[in-house]
Amino acid sequence: MSGVDSWEAEFHRSKTNANAASGPSAPRRAPSALLEREDQPMPDFLPEEPLPDETPLEQLTRHWMNERHAPDILPAQDVLLSSLLDHIRRQSDTIQLLRGDPSTSEEEHIRIMLAQTEVERVKFIVRSYVRTRLYKIETYARYIIANEEVQTRITTAERDYASRHAHLIDRHFYSSVLQSLPESQAGLDDIPNFIMPPMVTEPDTTRAVFAHARKGTIARTPEGKTVDLAKGSLTLLSFSAVSDLVSSGDVQLV
Amino acid sequence: MSLPPALRASVTPPELELIACQELVEIIPLIAMEKTAFISGAYGPLRPPHKARIPIWMAVNLKQKKKCHILAPEWLTVEYLQDKILQETTQDEFTKLPFRFAEISRVLLDAASDDLQNPDKLRSLLKDLREARQAKARAGLQSLEHSTLGLSNLSAMEINEIRPFFIEAMAVLGQLRP
Repeated sequence: MSGVDSWEAEFHRSKTNANAASGPSAPRRAPSALLEREDQPMPDFLPEEPLPDETPLEQLTRHWMNERHAPDILPAQDVLLSSLLDHIRRQSDTIQLLRGDPSTSEEEHIRIMLAQTEVERVKFIVRSYVRTRLYKIETYARYIIANEEVQTRITTAERDYASRHAHLIDRHFYSSVLQSLPESQAGLDDIPNFIMPPMVTEPDTTRAVFAHARKGTIARTPEGKTVDLAKGSLTLLSFSAVSDLVSSGDVQLV
Repeated sequence: MSLPPALRASVTPPELELIACQELVEIIPLIAMEKTAFISGAYGPLRPPHKARIPIWMAVNLKQKKKCHILAPEWLTVEYLQDKILQETTQDEFTKLPFRFAEISRVLLDAASDDLQNPDKLRSLLKDLREARQAKARAGLQSLEHSTLGLSNLSAMEINEIRPFFIEAMAVLGQLRP
């Protein structure tokens, strides 16, 4: 039966893919490993503790939750996302193929139904992850287009979206209100004076987050205090103290 | 809008349930199935009456079609939970429980209560445990200060419950700081 053959092929491909997908995250861990050696005076503190192994879906789930809890936009996971999207597409193709096969048994139908259910589950996570990023991009569009550092964290498509969104909002404000105001009051990015909040919405990176340490590490609070994060511990602290650790994967937000 | 307002402040319990259902559980299958490649990994083969480990969502799905029996995880038993409640009420710290125990126990009690021993007792024990831990979490508010708070062993659902209040309280404390 051709359908089952393609399913077997998919199984082998998914195994090789799992290896490939763990590749890109390795270099991202490197900078934090360097930092750690500087920060840790005690050599007995397990200098190279490996992070737990994760399947691509587990990685995406972790990034999804991080994104939902972090006040700021986190580095884009485009490699991981596109490999998962490819996997969804291949899995859906296999399902379609087996569906069309009239000789599929009842047992095979259950298999197809389970695979279909999983595809929907994964799609939900992918969608929610992308939407969370879009929400942040819409909210902080002006901040993003004015800030080079943030732009390194988002994909080209997201950057285009941010600038288009910011321009649309600007045009809308101008045509509805600003054009009738004196020129001195028509700006959208005035330097804030001491009683007014800034005009450009910025993420509040001091907001507290629940940080779960995936390996023993150390966080620095904005006040310069160091906080020991033992492996598996849970700490409530300011996002700015752990933002680098979240990007490197040492800490996850829960 | 890209993200509905209800989802902006925190994740919702159904979303936590979705994540929790990815964890593995043991089943006794009533149907045979070849080893199959899913996106989250390969599961199977299912050969009745041999036990197999599959994700909870899959087990619940099969259970609803009466194609398997779910075996309770070792922590979802009356003895284990009674032990935990005793620890919880005698110690200051939170006792260690599976991170997603609240979601998993709920899903299993809903979908497969006939596979569990004494489900009603389990429900009431889980409720007692939840209350004991909730009281402790509230007491923990007293030690809240503007920078950090250790909350080890708190579970996902409990974090979600206290999140809005704790985050807001911390922000206010940060503003009050000289």
